[in-house]
Amino acid sequence: MSLLAPLFALGALAVVIPLLVHLVHRERKDALAFPSLMFLRRTPYPFSARQRIRDWLLFLLRSALIVLAALAFARPVVARRQAALAAGTGGQEIVVLLDRSFSMRYSDRWQRARSEVQRVVDGVGNSDRATLIPFDRRASAVNEATNDRAMLRAALDSLKPSDEGTRLAPPVALAQRILSSSDLPRRTLVVVSDFQRTSWDLTDDVQLPPGTEIRTIDVSGEVRDRAVRSVEIRRTPGGDASRVLVSARIVNVGRAQRGIGVRLEVGDREVERKSLDLPEDGGATVTFANVAVPNRAVAARIVIDGDELAGDDIFHFLLTRAPTIPVLLVEHRDALPERGVFVSRALEIGDQPAFDVLARRSDRVAPADLAGRRLVILADAGIPMGVGAQRLERFVREGGGMINVLGERTSARTWPATAKALIPGAISEPADRLGERGAVLGFVDRRHQALALFSGTRSGDLSAARFFRYRPIDTTDGVLARFDDGTAALTEHRLGEGRILTWASTFDGYWNDLPRQAVFLPFLHQLSRYAASYREQKRAYAVGEAVQPGDLVLFDRPGAANVPTRWTVLSPSGKRIAVGGEDGAPSLELREAGVHEVRPSGMPNAEPLLVAANVDPAELDFATFDVSRLTNVLQPPGSVAAPAAAADPQATLAEREQKQSMWWYVLAAAAIILFTEGLLARRTSAQRLLTQ
Amino acid sequence: MTSAPRPSQPQAADPGMPGARFIDPAALARIGDLELIARWVVEGFISGLHRSPHLGFSTDFAEHRQYMPGDDIRHIDWRVYARTERYYLKEFEADTNTNFTVLLDVSASMGYAHQSLTKLDYAKYLAACLTYFSHRQRDRVGLVTFNDDVVDIVPPSAKHLPHVLHGLDRARAGGKGSLAMPLAKIAENQRRRGIFLLLSDLYEEPASVITALGALRDGGHDVMVMHILDSAERTFPFDDASTFRDLETGVQLPVVPSKLKKEYLAGIDEHVRAMGKRLGENRIDHTLVDTSQPLDRLLFDYLVRRERLRTVR
Repeated sequence: MSLLAPLFALGALAVVIPLLVHLVHRERKDALAFPSLMFLRRTPYPFSARQRIRDWLLFLLRSALIVLAALAFARPVVARRQAALAAGTGGQEIVVLLDRSFSMRYSDRWQRARSEVQRVVDGVGNSDRATLIPFDRRASAVNEATNDRAMLRAALDSLKPSDEGTRLAPPVALAQRILSSSDLPRRTLVVVSDFQRTSWDLTDDVQLPPGTEIRTIDVSGEVRDRAVRSVEIRRTPGGDASRVLVSARIVNVGRAQRGIGVRLEVGDREVERKSLDLPEDGGATVTFANVAVPNRAVAARIVIDGDELAGDDIFHFLLTRAPTIPVLLVEHRDALPERGVFVSRALEIGDQPAFDVLARRSDRVAPADLAGRRLVILADAGIPMGVGAQRLERFVREGGGMINVLGERTSARTWPATAKALIPGAISEPADRLGERGAVLGFVDRRHQALALFSGTRSGDLSAARFFRYRPIDTTDGVLARFDDGTAALTEHRLGEGRILTWASTFDGYWNDLPRQAVFLPFLHQLSRYAASYREQKRAYAVGEAVQPGDLVLFDRPGAANVPTRWTVLSPSGKRIAVGGEDGAPSLELREAGVHEVRPSGMPNAEPLLVAANVDPAELDFATFDVSRLTNVLQPPGSVAAPAAAADPQATLAEREQKQSMWWYVLAAAAIILFTEGLLARRTSAQRLLTQ
Repeated sequence: MTSAPRPSQPQAADPGMPGARFIDPAALARIGDLELIARWVVEGFISGLHRSPHLGFSTDFAEHRQYMPGDDIRHIDWRVYARTERYYLKEFEADTNTNFTVLLDVSASMGYAHQSLTKLDYAKYLAACLTYFSHRQRDRVGLVTFNDDVVDIVPPSAKHLPHVLHGLDRARAGGKGSLAMPLAKIAENQRRRGIFLLLSDLYEEPASVITALGALRDGGHDVMVMHILDSAERTFPFDDASTFRDLETGVQLPVVPSKLKKEYLAGIDEHVRAMGKRLGENRIDHTLVDTSQPLDRLLFDYLVRRERLRTVR
């Protein structure tokens, strides 16, 4: 039998009232006057005489009345199991799913969940079998199905909550396999969790074997928590690259909080401390200005005053300089200064990443100017004489990027035959479209990584620009955009590790009005990022994400060669994890919050690469889903056609209670008892008055 | 006051007693006026006994009085009726002319009542009825109330019925009870022989009661004892473990009735039996009176004993 409102069952404790009444009120308080004590003698009250309950029938009636009334309010539901009915009282296959995700660390949730599981384990009979499956993002059984309660308790004792998120599908699938293969007549699935909404990933095709009883134990409750959700690093405006602004977003669930301390710690040193007021169920941003950044990335963290959930009060991240793409912008030696203004101004804007632009005239470019550059933009300049096509080609082959902008000065002289590899194909004389109010871009490959930014609606209208003149390129490969007459407008071709983009018109506002369109800035930024093979370095990962150590090397040293393939990772708890190679995991899967140190295998003294991991943000969303939804999805459909005597397994507890309306019968029984008690009490009272 | 059935409804329904009306003492308690109660009980009782062979009226004419409804028509003087056309009864001088003194125990134990009527109230009704009855027979009536000493005295006189009734009315239960001293005092002051009716609960040893009554008996007086007990004293109908307090001494005892009941009942029965035996041996009438018993039955008993006393004398 289950109770829809079990708290009301506590009312049964009131049964002590009739007990006290019947025990305490039976002894006379006043002395009884009597004519003479001549024939009486002292008989001390025996203890049993004081404590003896008188009027047993009345007492039992009153106790039953209270218990029945409490039971009626608790709304009882009789759970009749189809399988149990069919198979009598045989053994039971029990699968216990125990949520051990990060959110279970809140307050006493884990202790309560363990107590509930302990209770289930205590109820395992000799003919039963139980399996304990802890789960977070993944699930695995900690024991073979057994009726050994000691083993189950030991398995339970070995568990503790993790830092990971929650997914329901893996444990349910595992439970389904165990229950389906069971030969025992009865099957029970017990789910102990806080049922976070973000954990729901079940599909409707999950089906448990017919007759499986599903018990859900919800340990969630009201939550008051504050957490560091994110950290952002920006270059200090007007400052050099070694100074950054660190902004942290603090969110608060629950009542408003005042004077919350926020600390920025770099390494093990506290750099700055601030105080913050948090609104009710809201958030606030705290900024640490002018933070000095060393050359290499260092581990840093934002720490706020602790609360009942400590794990989200610290946010680990890597303190690095704001990302920058070093660009060499080459203009023709004869170009008017104002013709390059659109490009140079566009590249001055933005800091994610920033563009460190070195502008040179084509006749003044030296080979040293290429050092440390990730991108070369040739703005209608041709091959700079001082560098030569060979060096540029090598630059590109080694991973550098290049954007060729074709214009009126493009000619066989500016693009000699030696530079053939740097252009996608033959370049023709300019096509003039002045008589038709200009051409437009007829095709843009928005699926391409370089132009994917414009794939969404209202995300930049590239067709608004008018092109009056352009140089047709003779190529069919790697065309990213075409004019309305079908000629290539933007092409890409690769050379070694690098990328070369060729734009068939200018960026100076003479051959087209693209630089005057709002879309120009993001367009140029996207082309530059793509050509420079820029990848955003993550300063902080979420627990559960996977990291390729090789990528970390490339972030640290772009274009580095001979990247190791085998790595050893030291987790925050001191565990060593092998990654790569034949024995190791293919990638580092982050399972703990904190800073991981990654070193090439066999080089324990090497400078580590750092990976900062934080709690999965989904775990900080404490909203829950309706538990009946889980029951509805998991209930086997075959049970719908159960005999009338069996409970409808698809019905929720509330629906079953409504259907059975047991409370009505219980209350009717209580009313009958009340009437009987009244009659009996009156009679007993009259008799007692008479005898006194 | 309740009309619920009492635990002991004693010999009340004795079918052998003609004309008895068995007036409920609880009903009498509602009336309150002792004279009215006495008249009601006695007149009714006498009317019911008109065919009784034990009628004790004398044949000496005393006076006429006007007929009242309920009077026996055999006593109507038809000659007077012939002269005056009014009904007059002939009343006769009683042949007894003795002193009738009620000795009423007013100790605190007589104030006990398990239900509504105390033993003292019952004794008052009984005394009033018997006094009235005796007064009708031209006895001189008197009253002595006492506890461990004499409290109030109304000397016997043919005109003292109102005084006796008044004395009964103002009697209140209180003090310890003891027969020896008050009865010794009374015996000293008696000049004429008479009848003494002792109304008491007799919580004394039979020997001391005999000793106390011995002075009266030795003085040639007729002594009758009515041993008045409440029904609760005879049945001990208690269940709860309680502290019992003696009404006279105030001494308290913790008692578990369920354990002691048997022993108590045996003790009180033995006491009553021994009291009757010892008094009988000394030619003193002993009548056990239960306060739930109807009054007129006792009147009948009293009349029977008076007849026996006269016969014996």
